[in-house]
Amino acid sequence: MFSQASHNSRVQPVSPAPGATEIVTRVNELIAGLRPDNVDMLAAFHRIQHEYGYVPREAVPLLAGHFNTSPAIVFGAIDFYSEIRTNAPAEEVVEWCSGPACLLKGSMGIRRALEAVLDAPMNGTTPDGKFELRLAQCDGTCHLAPLVRNKGNYLGPLSTSKAIEWARRLRGIEPAAVAAEETA
Amino acid sequence: MATYKELRSAADEAWRAVANPKRALIKVGVATCSRSVGAEETLDALRREVAARGLDADVMVTGCLGLCYAEPIVEVQRPGAPAVLYQQIKPGRVPELLDVVGHGGDASGLALAVVGEQAAGAIPSLESLPFWRGQVRRLMANCGVTDPGNIEHYIANGGYEGLTKALKMAPAEVIEEVKSSRLWGRGGAAFSTGLKWEFLYNAKSRPKYIVVNADEGDPGAFVNRNLLESDPHLLIEGVVIAGIATEADQAYVYIRDEYPLPVARVEKAVLQAYENGLAGRDILGSGKNFELKVVRGAGSYVCGDETGLLSSLEDRRGMPKIKPPYPAQAGVFALPSNINNVESYANAPLILRHGAEWWASVGTERNKGTKMFSLSGQVRRVGVVEVPLGTPTSEVVMKMGGGVPEGRTLKAIQSGGPLSGVIPAIDVGIPLEPEPYRDRGSIMGAGGLVIMDDTNCIVDLCIYFEWFAEDESCGRCTTCFAGTRRMLEILRRISSGRGRKADLELINLLGRIAQNANCFHGQGAPTVVMSMFRFFEDELLEHLERKRCPAKKCAGLIRYEVVHESDLLPLAEAICPTGAVVRHNGAYRIDQEKCVKCDACREQAPYAIGLVDIFSS
Repeated sequence: MFSQASHNSRVQPVSPAPGATEIVTRVNELIAGLRPDNVDMLAAFHRIQHEYGYVPREAVPLLAGHFNTSPAIVFGAIDFYSEIRTNAPAEEVVEWCSGPACLLKGSMGIRRALEAVLDAPMNGTTPDGKFELRLAQCDGTCHLAPLVRNKGNYLGPLSTSKAIEWARRLRGIEPAAVAAEETA
Repeated sequence: MATYKELRSAADEAWRAVANPKRALIKVGVATCSRSVGAEETLDALRREVAARGLDADVMVTGCLGLCYAEPIVEVQRPGAPAVLYQQIKPGRVPELLDVVGHGGDASGLALAVVGEQAAGAIPSLESLPFWRGQVRRLMANCGVTDPGNIEHYIANGGYEGLTKALKMAPAEVIEEVKSSRLWGRGGAAFSTGLKWEFLYNAKSRPKYIVVNADEGDPGAFVNRNLLESDPHLLIEGVVIAGIATEADQAYVYIRDEYPLPVARVEKAVLQAYENGLAGRDILGSGKNFELKVVRGAGSYVCGDETGLLSSLEDRRGMPKIKPPYPAQAGVFALPSNINNVESYANAPLILRHGAEWWASVGTERNKGTKMFSLSGQVRRVGVVEVPLGTPTSEVVMKMGGGVPEGRTLKAIQSGGPLSGVIPAIDVGIPLEPEPYRDRGSIMGAGGLVIMDDTNCIVDLCIYFEWFAEDESCGRCTTCFAGTRRMLEILRRISSGRGRKADLELINLLGRIAQNANCFHGQGAPTVVMSMFRFFEDELLEHLERKRCPAKKCAGLIRYEVVHESDLLPLAEAICPTGAVVRHNGAYRIDQEKCVKCDACREQAPYAIGLVDIFSS
C-alpha cells in the first residue's frame, strides 16, 4: 500500500517536503493531550487523519517520540489498520461494499463494471487521480445490498446497470455519447 | 451527588411526556440502517414541516427497532390513540404523513403496524407481524422506543437499577448471580461469563481492566451495532456492573471504526453516566470507582479476536498474542483483564435487575436467555431479531425473515462470520444454540445469519471468505497467512476451470495444517471450505470435473453470448462499460476479449443475452 517513492525515502535521505514544518507543528498540537500507555495511539491516528485525510509520513517520528516507541512500531501500526491511510484520498472516493450479503446479491458484477467505468483498479485511482475506488467492509446496512457509498451517501440496492449509469454521471460521461462512440 | 431514587423520579417525570404525550409525538428512528436510507433528511423535513404548519406536535429521535427492511420508520402517537408505525418515510412522504397528525387523515397506505397487540382497522398490530411474532425482546426492549441520547429515558425504563443492586452486594455475590444465570459469552466461544469474571476477581495484580469487544467485524453481522446505537446505556450499565463485580479499575470500550454512529452515541452515553454519578469516582455514593474510555478501532478484523484487541489497545499492531497467559492473568499492558462481547455485558443489567432465575426462564436446558441475530443476504426481510436460544433456525430465517425471494429455493445459511461454515437448507430446522451448529462443523457465532439461495454458488462464497481471511490475517503464523493464500489460489483455480483432482486433497491438507495457527483466525479460516466438502461436494465436483458452475457465477466457467435477436440489444450495447457488445453487419455479438462479465447487458436484454458454460460443448 506504500508508494515506491516513500519506500525509497527510507534508504535515501530526502529533503523535507514542502509544508513539512507546518505538518510538524499541527501534528504536535493535535496529539498534545494524548499520553503513552493510555490507549491513545489509535485516537492520535484518527485526529491526524481527520485533519489531513491521511497520516502524513512526517507524523511518524513525532508519534514515535510522543508515545515512547520506535518509528517502526508506529509505522507498523499505521500500515496494519486498513482504515488509516498513508496517502491523500482522491476528490471522489467510491466505496464498494465487499460484504457477503452484497456478494450474494451481485456485487462482483458491480465491482467489475465500476473498475471499467472509473478506469481504476480496486483500491486505486483513475489515471487523472480524481476518482478513487475503495474496498469497504460491511457495516450492516444489508437491506441496501448490493451497495456502494459515496460521500456518506448510500446507493442501493443497485443493479450493475444502475451502478454503471451512476458512475458515468459521476465521471461526467454522457450515456448517449458513450453509445454513439461505441457504434461509430 | 444525586441518589438513584432522585435520578429515577426525575427520569420518570421526563419519560411520562413520552409514554403518555399530551400532544402528538412523532418518533423517528435514526440509526446506521435508517440513516443509510435518509432518516436524517426525514427528521429534518418533519421538524421543518411541523414548524411550518404550526402543528401541536413534538419530534423525537429514537434508535432502531430492527426492522431494517422498512426504514426509515416514523412512529406517530396522538394523545389517547394507539401509536402507529409508518414505513419507508422518505422526506417526500412527510407532508402526507403529517396530514394524519394535523387533521386525523388516513395514511394507512404508509402504515406498517400499530404498536402493541391490538390492530386498528386495516393496520395490523406490531405483535402480529411475522417479523415480530416469536421475538422475546429483552436486550432490545428499548431499541426504537427510547431516545438513545437521553439517559433519563433509560433510567425511567428500569435502567441502572441493576447497578444499584450490584453496588449493595459483595462482588462475589454479583459474580455468583451472573454464574447462576448460566450466561455465556455471546461473542462466539460460549464460555461462562460469570466464571470469566471470577478469574479476573481472583487476579492479584492491580490495576485490573474490563474490555468490551465491540469490534463487530463479521461481515453480515450487525447485532452489536444495533444495540450500541439504540440503547448504549444498557452496555454502559453492564460494563460498570462487571467492573464493580470484578473490582476492576478501568474499562475500554473498543468499537470498530466502521461504526461512527455507535462510537458517537456510546461516547455521549459515557459522558452522561459520568455526569449522573453512575461512573467515575464514588459511583452513586458507594465509594467505589470505575473509569470508562471509548476507543475507536481502525479497521482490522483480527482486533475482534480477544488477544488481537489487547494488542491493539497497547499502541501497536493489533496482532493476536499467544495464549496462555490468558487475559485474566496478563491482558492489557500485561495486567489482569476481562474481555467480553457487547451482548454479554448487556445481559448483566437484566440479570441483576430481575434476578438470575427470571433471566434463565427462557432458552433451553443448556442455553439460557435470549440472543440477537441479524438477517441478511437472500432474505425478504433484512433486520435484527432477538429470540430465546434454542429457537429453530427456520423460525428466524423463514418466518421472521420471510425466507428467500419469490421463486427461489433456500440453499444454505452462513452463520457466525467468515471463520465459520455453512448449514445446508436441509438442516434449517436446527435450534439456534451452539451445539447443533458445532455438530455440523460450524459455529453459531455472534449473531450474523447470511442466507444463500439457489442463484448463489458455494465456491464463489468460499472464495470470498478465504479472500477475507487472507486479507485480514495478521501475518504471524505461516499456516494462516500462507495457508489462506494457498487455499485462495486453489479455489480460484477451480473457479476458473483449471481445477484438478489433486486439489481436493490439497485443500484438506491445508485445512488440517491451519489448525496449528495460534489464534482462531487461522484455525477457523478453512471452516467454510470444509463445510463445502461436507455438504456441497457435488457442486464442488461439478466445478472441478465437469468445469461447470451450476449457479453460473464463477467467471472463469461462463461466458456471455447473444442467444436471440432482440430490440433491447442496443440498450445492452449502450450500457456495456467496456464496449464488448458489438454490432457487425446488423447482428450483435459479445467480444469475449473485452467482456468483464459484469452482467449489465443481461440486465438490459435478459432474453437476448445468455450465460453459457465455457466448457460445456
